[in-house]
Amino acid sequence: MTQPMLEGFKVIDFTHVVAGPHATKILAEHGAEVIKIEPLGGELARLLPMQREGRSAYFIQHNVGKKTMALDISTKEGQDICHELIKTADVVVENFSPGVMKQHNLDWKTLKKINPDLIMCSISCFGQTGPLSHLPGYDWIGQSYAGIIDLLGEPGQKPVFGDIAFGDVSTGAHAFGAIVTALLHKTRGGKGQHIDISLMEVLFSYHEMGVQLYDTTGGQMLVQRSGSYHGMLAPVGIYQCKDKYLFILGVNHQWEGLSKAMGREDMFADPRFSDLTTMGQHKDEINAAIEAWLDSVGDIDRALELLRENRVPCAPILTLAEVMDHPHTKERGTVRTVSDPIFGDIRIPRTPLRFSEFPDTPNLQAGTLGQYNHEILRDQLGYSEQQIARLETDGVIASKNI
Amino acid sequence: MAEQHILSGIKVVDFTHFVAGPHCTRLLAQHGAEVIKVEPLTGDPARGLPFVKDKRSGCFIQHNIGKKNLCLDLGRSEAQRICHELIKNADVMVENFTPGAMQRLNMDWETLKEINPELIMCSISCLGQTGPLSRQPGFDYIGQAYSGIMGSIGDKDGYPSLTGMAFGDVSTGAHAYGAIVSALFHKLHGGGGQYLDISLLDCLFSYHAAHVQMYAASDGAVNPPRCGHHHALLCPLGLFECHGQYVVIVAIGAQWENLLKLIGREDMLTDPLFVDLLARGVNQQLIIDAIENWLASTTDIDDALEKLKQNHVPCAPVLSIPEVMEHPHMVGREIVQTIDDKLFGPVKIPASPFKYSLFPEPLNLQAGTLGEHNHQILSDHLGYSDEQIKQLEIDGISAVANA
Repeated sequence: MTQPMLEGFKVIDFTHVVAGPHATKILAEHGAEVIKIEPLGGELARLLPMQREGRSAYFIQHNVGKKTMALDISTKEGQDICHELIKTADVVVENFSPGVMKQHNLDWKTLKKINPDLIMCSISCFGQTGPLSHLPGYDWIGQSYAGIIDLLGEPGQKPVFGDIAFGDVSTGAHAFGAIVTALLHKTRGGKGQHIDISLMEVLFSYHEMGVQLYDTTGGQMLVQRSGSYHGMLAPVGIYQCKDKYLFILGVNHQWEGLSKAMGREDMFADPRFSDLTTMGQHKDEINAAIEAWLDSVGDIDRALELLRENRVPCAPILTLAEVMDHPHTKERGTVRTVSDPIFGDIRIPRTPLRFSEFPDTPNLQAGTLGQYNHEILRDQLGYSEQQIARLETDGVIASKNI
Repeated sequence: MAEQHILSGIKVVDFTHFVAGPHCTRLLAQHGAEVIKVEPLTGDPARGLPFVKDKRSGCFIQHNIGKKNLCLDLGRSEAQRICHELIKNADVMVENFTPGAMQRLNMDWETLKEINPELIMCSISCLGQTGPLSRQPGFDYIGQAYSGIMGSIGDKDGYPSLTGMAFGDVSTGAHAYGAIVSALFHKLHGGGGQYLDISLLDCLFSYHAAHVQMYAASDGAVNPPRCGHHHALLCPLGLFECHGQYVVIVAIGAQWENLLKLIGREDMLTDPLFVDLLARGVNQQLIIDAIENWLASTTDIDDALEKLKQNHVPCAPVLSIPEVMEHPHMVGREIVQTIDDKLFGPVKIPASPFKYSLFPEPLNLQAGTLGEHNHQILSDHLGYSDEQIKQLEIDGISAVANA
């Protein structure tokens, strides 16, 4: 059995809610020892739904594989314990608002003196510097400042709100990539370093086209929200078939296949629909023809079949329930089950990194609040049972079965 | 030559096109790896994506800076032999063809691991290498549709909204980057080569930070629908109208009290209709009206945002791309990078979000023209003579174009 890729590496984790915890969860799934330090009352995610017997499935999803400690890091003793742990750690990850780690003597300047080989990764909404850095951040605030919410919804109308924290989760994945890169650097003889990952910057990098388009046309071509159809290209968009929706893309060579599927070879031959530019100019007519054809088919499965026979890229727009029950996601194990001792079985998304040498996601659990206080203080820092009991009495550490 | 960065000395052979694959190998190049991008004689189709000037695409430049460009007819056995020779000495190979295509080109994992057992091969696809949907042609939006993401955005009773950017492609490229570096790390510790299967579907599905477990744990009772302008269950969390513009307000924690004081509605603090998060979700329209009334009473959007910020209520204006690019915070953090393309001229692109204290400056990289490095790679890496290289061009196995 090959040992997991990050086995033997120690991570001290000061993260909460999603972006930070997702990064350290991936580290844990790669075999790192992750020690998560929470405030005495537990981190915010422990309160988020679904709750069962005081236990949050939300917390479990983002915290499998971590050893949990509950510690008051505003006390000198709590900070001393953190410093001692960090002295022999490889990585520190945190996602407080910038400035908070400094208040607790846990900033990079302090920590690099304690451990010059340390890799510290700070995850925040706006980054560690700049005029917005001190603002409280949530995924949607990052989405707004990154120019993403502006692109969602009907043209000229109020934008829509996408209830998916894709910024948080994918920022966690970026942080994971950056941390492993820095670990690799250290293995090749480099030094420790600080990594500054900003959610807003990660989201901004998702403009695969809009930024250069705006820049190079001197502002002439600006991507704007365009409802269910693409704003510039046709046919690209979401179409209705009875009470269901499907996505169809029929540009370039797929246009021929789409015309055939619709029995509208006449459109393929029409010079008004001969290239990307003219098709974009006549997009309303093209989109209307597709909607009319779907009306006449009247059955989404039949429509998808006809489109696929003609190699037209298409997909039904699935609800979450349909995704989770789809034979494809079932065969690939896209949804996996965590068996929690308190909550019971919970289905969560599988981490999307698939390695041939490590085909199975390790079977990991999420800790209860302060579950590993004793083990870590005793085994890693050599504290006596008496010392640990005194920390408990003094309210520096705590534990709770949640 | 290449400046020093973390992946200096790592060799990557790159068979990617469009966005997801190229974004991954661009990140490898930006970390100092030597990336040899192999394109078909017609070039990566992204070379035709807008904006195109003098046959040069700004979109192609964005996703292909820092790579060396080799242009070969991959259907010919001689071209495949050249690729095998390059892969023999490479650390990483990345491709994002539809599953099955690499096998037809004799470039699948079974073949390549015989040639180089230490190789890390990463396949990026829309729906994965296995399963009933795997052979379908894939695009970002198809992954979004199959992952339940597209179905979650838009009005409850209307059409879902098409997102105006391919966030699935770019973020899947970043996931692939993380997986490749992990595998390199493993190899450096004696673990050998391996194969990576990264898909848009897997990545996009993992973005459901809350809903999957909620749906599963409630046995299907909690299945939030598309929620229009506001969160389906929590309030205030959504988009509020303000003098013809829009602001995002998130006040689901301790900020609830601050917000009510600011808008002069302390009465709501004690109102049983808003006693907890659950109740506020149920009675969200009353809250939305109260907030929008207050927003209408402010001077303008800047006044409203200033007051919200002073009261520590998380908020944001909904910025357009140009507003983001010109914002002093973004300018100060250099989130826009300018590439000085030798044909196109300056092109602004989003900078890589990886910021390291030891490597504060991004490498100064360029995007190659089609086949720009044919000669250099064939000669320096594989020891081909000038005559042999010429012959490949005459036989139509390789090509060079200044675009």
